[in-house]
This record gives sequence, C-alpha cells and structure tokens, in this order.
Amino acid sequence: MSDSSDSPVSRRKFLKTVSQGAAAVATAGVAGGAMHAAATKPAADAGKKNNKVQYGMLIDLRRCIGCQACTVACKAEADVPMGVSRSWVEYVEKGRYPNAGRSFLPRLCNHCSEPHCVRVCPTGATYERPQDGLIVIDQGVCIGCLYCAHACPYDMRFLNPVTRFADKCDMCIHRVSKGLVPSCVNTCQGRARIFGDVNDPNSEIHKLIARNPVSVIRETYGTQPNVYYIGLDTTDENTKKPGQYVRVTTNKANSPKRT
Amino acid sequence: MEQHLMWNWPMIVYLFLAGLGAGALAVSGIVVLWGPAGEFRHRAALIARLGAFIGPLPVIIGTGLLIYELGRPFRALNLFTSNFWFLALNPSPMNWGSWFILLFCVFATVYALTFIPWRTLLGGERGERLEARSERWRAPMATICVPLAIAMAIYTAILLAAVPARPLWHTPVLWLLFTVSAISTGLSAIILVQRFMFRKPGAVRGAVRREDPAFRVTEYYLVSMKVLLIIAELVVIGLFFMFAHMTINSANFAVQTLLPGGEMATTFWVGVILVGLLMPAFIEGFYLLRTAVLGHEFEWPYVINVSAPIAILFGGLMLRYVIVVGGQITGPIGI
Ligand code: SF4
Ligand code: SF4
Repeated sequence: MSDSSDSPVSRRKFLKTVSQGAAAVATAGVAGGAMHAAATKPAADAGKKNNKVQYGMLIDLRRCIGCQACTVACKAEADVPMGVSRSWVEYVEKGRYPNAGRSFLPRLCNHCSEPHCVRVCPTGATYERPQDGLIVIDQGVCIGCLYCAHACPYDMRFLNPVTRFADKCDMCIHRVSKGLVPSCVNTCQGRARIFGDVNDPNSEIHKLIARNPVSVIRETYGTQPNVYYIGLDTTDENTKKPGQYVRVTTNKANSPKRT
Repeated sequence: MEQHLMWNWPMIVYLFLAGLGAGALAVSGIVVLWGPAGEFRHRAALIARLGAFIGPLPVIIGTGLLIYELGRPFRALNLFTSNFWFLALNPSPMNWGSWFILLFCVFATVYALTFIPWRTLLGGERGERLEARSERWRAPMATICVPLAIAMAIYTAILLAAVPARPLWHTPVLWLLFTVSAISTGLSAIILVQRFMFRKPGAVRGAVRREDPAFRVTEYYLVSMKVLLIIAELVVIGLFFMFAHMTINSANFAVQTLLPGGEMATTFWVGVILVGLLMPAFIEGFYLLRTAVLGHEFEWPYVINVSAPIAILFGGLMLRYVIVVGGQITGPIGI
C-alpha cells in the first residue's frame, strides 16, 4: 500500500484540498475549454467534481459471458483468502422455458464519489485517494470494526480472516499506479471491462460512457458509483413480479444472497 | 443462518450492556436530583446508590468485550488518536460513541465513588472528610451523568440507524426503542438487585427495613413505573412496525423478517414480546391491580418477584439480538 500509516488522513485531506483549490484556479484560467468539456459530460456523471482524476470502470454486460475469469484473477492477484470475495459475477436467471434467459452481473467495489464507507469509518482508515479517487483501506490504521461493511450499500466489504481488517476491492492500486489496468480488466475474455479516468475527455471510458446508455447499481443510495454498466438488468429476487421466475446466484463466497 | 454475520454476540451483548448501564445510571441520577424526601429519603438513597454502582460496570464489561473481539486491544485507541482533527471535524457515530463511553466511564465511576460509605469504611477523620466531599459532589455529578447516560443510550441506536444500507436499522424510531429499553432494563437491574438484598422478611439494610410501610409504597411506585415503561416500549415497537409498513421500500421488506413467517419471527415474538414484555407486564400488572383495586398488601412470592425483572433483562438482550441479526440478514431490495 503506497499510503501507509505514517501519512495521516488529515494531511492527505489537506493536500487534497490544496490541490483541488489549485485545480479550480487553473480551470478558471481556461474557462472556455473547461466549459466545452463540461458540456459534453454524460448525464450519469453530472454533479461530480470534474477537475480531478477519477478512475472508474465500465462493464459492457453484452460482452460478458460469465466465465468468472475476473473472479479468479482477483483471487490470485490480491491473495484473497478462502471464504471471502473481493470480486464476483452474479448469475441472474429469469423466465420459464422456453422463454428463459440468464444474464451476468460482475460486481466489484464502485469506488463511489460519495462513499458511505468513508463517512462512517471511525478511524479514518478508509479514505479516498486524492490522486485517483479510489477508495482504499489503510491497514495500518483500520481496527476491523466493520462499521464500513454495514454502511456499504453494495455489500463489498468483509473481514479478511487472515489480517482481521476490513478488506475489499482496491482496483489493484499497485497495478494502476504503475500505469497498468486492474487484473480483472487484464484477464477479461470478452473485453467487457474498460478501465480508465472517467473525467478525462480523451479516455476510452469517458467516450464510451458518453455514447452508451450506461447505468450504475443502487443509484438511489446517492453514493455516485464509478463503476458503470451497459445493458444492466436490475432484476432481483426481491422485486420479481407475481408468477415470474427469478433466481439470483451471487457466486460470492460469504453471502449466497444479495444483501 | 446461511448469511455470514459481521456483527455478532459481542456487539449484541455490548449494545445490551451499554443500554443497561446507561439506564441504571440515568435512573440513579434522576432519583438524586428529583427524588423524594421525607420518609422515602432512605429508600430513594438506596435506589440511587444501587443505580450508581450498577451504572459503569456493564458499560466497562461490554466495551472490554468489543475490544477483545477486535483482537488487537491497543489498536482500538485509533478511534481517538489516528487522525484527531480529521475525526473531530468528520466524526462517525462510532467516534461519538467512543467519546461517550470514555466520558461515561470516567464520570460514572466518579459518581459511583460518591456513594461509597466512606465513614463506615474508613472511619476517623479521613472517612469524615471523604463523606463530606462525596455529599458535595453527588448532585453536580448526577447533573453531568443523567444527560451523558441518555446520550449513551441514544448512541447505541444511532450507531445502527446511521447506515442507510441496513434498512431494518435505518429508521427514525430505533433511538426511542433502544432508549426506552435501556431505561427499562436499567430500572429492572436495580429492582432485581434490591430484591436479592431484601429477600428475607424483616431484612434491614442501613436505614431501610423491609417491613416499613414506606418500603412497600416505593416498591409499588417502582413497579408501576416499570409497567409504564413496558407499555411505552410496546407502543414504540408498534411505531417501529408502522414506520416500516408505511415505507414503500427496503424497510418494508426488511421488517418482514420479524413478522410471522420471517426468519427472526419466533425469536422476536417469543423472546422480546412474550417473555420480555407481556409476561412481566401481566405478572406485575396483576399484583399492582390487586393492590390498587382490592387494597391488598403489595407483597408477592419471591420467585415471581425476581422472575419479572429477569424476564425484562432477557427481553432487552433479545431485542438487541433480533435487531442486530435481523438487520444483517436483510438488505436493500433490488440492485
Ligand atoms: S462500493 Fe461500498 S466499499 Fe466501495 S466505495 Fe462504494 S460504499 Fe465504499
Ligand atoms: S473496519 Fe477499518 S476501515 Fe472499516 S470502519 Fe472500521 S476502522 Fe474503518
């Protein structure tokens, strides 16, 4: 982890504020260009602070074949212990034979712009990295209280049984800070996953978000997720219509049900 | 339970014990500040003393349990020290809570010290001096402890209610439920201990004797208060369900786990409602009515006498169990 316990959040926060202030001044200086960029912002991005790097992911569900290669890559890359998952692919089965279908929903931490996990963390161990907007856990500070795990509306967090700290997808910060893409993106067979800076108008992910009907999951929680989906099917066992057949298999080690 | 529970027994017991301690301390402080005088003076002093002695203990035990469960005792200090100014400006409910616990433990302990019978314990001039000092400090300490205790009781609910992603917890009624339950369990603990103390007929403790008419009268009012608290708790539980029922979203779905047919239904209806509320309400209500209507002595068999407060304590624990576990096995609906 690049930010270890010797750099307290207060300083990070301070640096972040300063850098944002500087960026705001810079933006004001080139107001014309910035306005153009803002005008082409996709609707899903509205209301975000656009002048900073914000890494995110776009998952094109039309290209996902549910092969779980990303699940395995994540397990290996992050050395995730048995019994818990950082990343998984849910299977959603719907309808009755012969009119039945199955869709896939890869899940990972959304690296939200308004993360509930950060708000509730009582030690400041969970924080937003100012340089790329990723939400990470400082293992030198975390006490393992799991308050963050309850606060996350996406059920992303768990107690790592080996370290006894909170754990979740960190978007492979060790890779992305060296210019590589996260392991799941690297391994994806159908190239369903696109990684990049959603605020950079020249990035592939920015263009794809702008041009496609994207959606995020559990948007009503106001967390402003940075993982976008194309072709998202929001069917859930809890919201199925009378007589409808729906079965959701999470394929997640520690919770067979979506919560 | 197929679901993996992230907060389990240590948290459940902690919430219960924190509520119990806060309730006992609040009752004690209220009796010190606004308690009766005259012939009830000694009786009130005894209740205040028991409450003061009970107050800090469960909170300290419960907190110890939580810290032990974290596995790294000294890491828990990160709650205070990791990023002091950042956390002071962006406190999480757990930060509030840890400050409350700290202040509670300090003030409740000082408050309890003012109740130690220094004169009989030490004797001599030192005893006299400490006794005089205790007298002087008791009321100011009670003034600090009552709001602190109530804040503590409310915080145990806010801790849970602050997370929108747990619909069963995220309700504006939870703080009322936990606060009423805290005061009711705190009062029950006091009543239970003093029933142990006055078990034998003719028992005398200090200036309080079991055969005094004042003893029965106070007992009568204490039990009435307890029954009123039980009724209040039932009303709040009604509000809890009504809120969930009127909300057309995840809260409505989550509360199904408590309703008949749900996963937690048996524990809730038997443990919390039947054993924890209705049974003591009926037992105590019966003896209350017998005295109020028929003019009988307010006197009842010992076994029944202690079983009612024990049932209330059990119900308080079960309430925390049902809420903590029920909140974790339900979640937002839809994706
Ligand atoms: S998905 Fe959950 S864990 Fe990830 S940033 Fe959002 S709230 Fe936090
Ligand atoms: S488990 Fe760690 S990261 Fe999560 S809220 Fe507690 S201290 Fe913060």
